[in-house]
Amino acid sequence: MKKAAIGFFVVVTLALMAWGFYQAIYVAPNDAMQGEIFRIFYYHVPSASVAFLFFAVSLIGSIGFLASRRGNPDRAQAFDAWAVAGAEVGVVFCTVVLATGPLWARRAWGIWWTWDARLTTTLILWLIYVSYLLLRRFAAGPQMQTLAAVLGIFGALDVPIVYMSNRWWRTQHPAPVFGGAPGSGMDKSMVGAFLWNMLAWLCWGLLILALRYRVERKSQLIEAEEAQQALEA
Amino acid sequence: MDQAAILDHQFLIAAYAVTWTIQLGYLAFLGMKWRAQKREQARVRQNPRQRAN
Repeated sequence: MKKAAIGFFVVVTLALMAWGFYQAIYVAPNDAMQGEIFRIFYYHVPSASVAFLFFAVSLIGSIGFLASRRGNPDRAQAFDAWAVAGAEVGVVFCTVVLATGPLWARRAWGIWWTWDARLTTTLILWLIYVSYLLLRRFAAGPQMQTLAAVLGIFGALDVPIVYMSNRWWRTQHPAPVFGGAPGSGMDKSMVGAFLWNMLAWLCWGLLILALRYRVERKSQLIEAEEAQQALEA
Repeated sequence: MDQAAILDHQFLIAAYAVTWTIQLGYLAFLGMKWRAQKREQARVRQNPRQRAN
C-alpha cells in the first residue's frame, strides 16, 4: 500500500514536471519587455521558493534536535535527519537559483553578476549551508550534530533577509512580482504557467527531500547497529 | 529571427538544461548513496567487525 502510494506520487510528480515544462515553453506568452528570456522565471522563482521552504525544514529539524537531544535521543536523531535533508536539498535548489540567475541577468541586464543586496544575500545563504554540509561531512565526535544544529539555525536567519532584501534596499534585482509595490504582479496569461511550475517543483522537491531523509535515517541505523555490535563483541 | 532572439533562446535552453543537470545529478548521487548503504548494511550484518570505507 505504501509502495503504491509512493509510486503514485512519483508518477504525479513526473506528470506535473512535464506539464509545467509545456506550460512554461509553449503556453505562456513572451514577456512584453524581456521576450523569451523571461521564461527562466518559471524555473528560477519556484526553485528559490522551494529552497526557502527546505531551509525552514532544516531550521525546525535543528531546533527539534537541540530541544530533544537529552530527553529523547531517538526523536533527536529523526529531527537531525530532517535538518540535514532540508539543508542539503535546499542547497541543491539554491544552486539552481544561483546558476539560472546569471544566465537570465546576462540577457536582461547585460551582466552575469552584480553585488546587489538580493544576489549577495542569496550567495551568503548558499555559502552558510554549504559550510553546514562541510561541517557535517568532515567534523567528527559527539558535538558535531549540536554544532551543525546551531549553524543551521544561524543560516536560516539569512532567509528572511534574502526575502526582504529587494524591499528594504534599492537593488539591481527587480522588485517583488508578488506582494510588492502597487501595480506589481503578473499578467493573467502567465500566472497559470507559474503556478503549475511552483506545484511541480514543490512535489519534486518533496520527493527528493523524503529520499534524502530516508538515506540519513538508514545511515543512523547502520551506525547504531555497528555501535551495538561493538559493545557486544 | 534576429540575433537577440536567437541568443535569448540559447540562454533559455542553457538555464533549463543546467536546472535539470543539477537536479538529476543530485538524484543520481542519492541513488548511489542508497545502494552503497544497502551493501554496507549487508556487510555489517554478515561480518560485524569489518567495515568498508
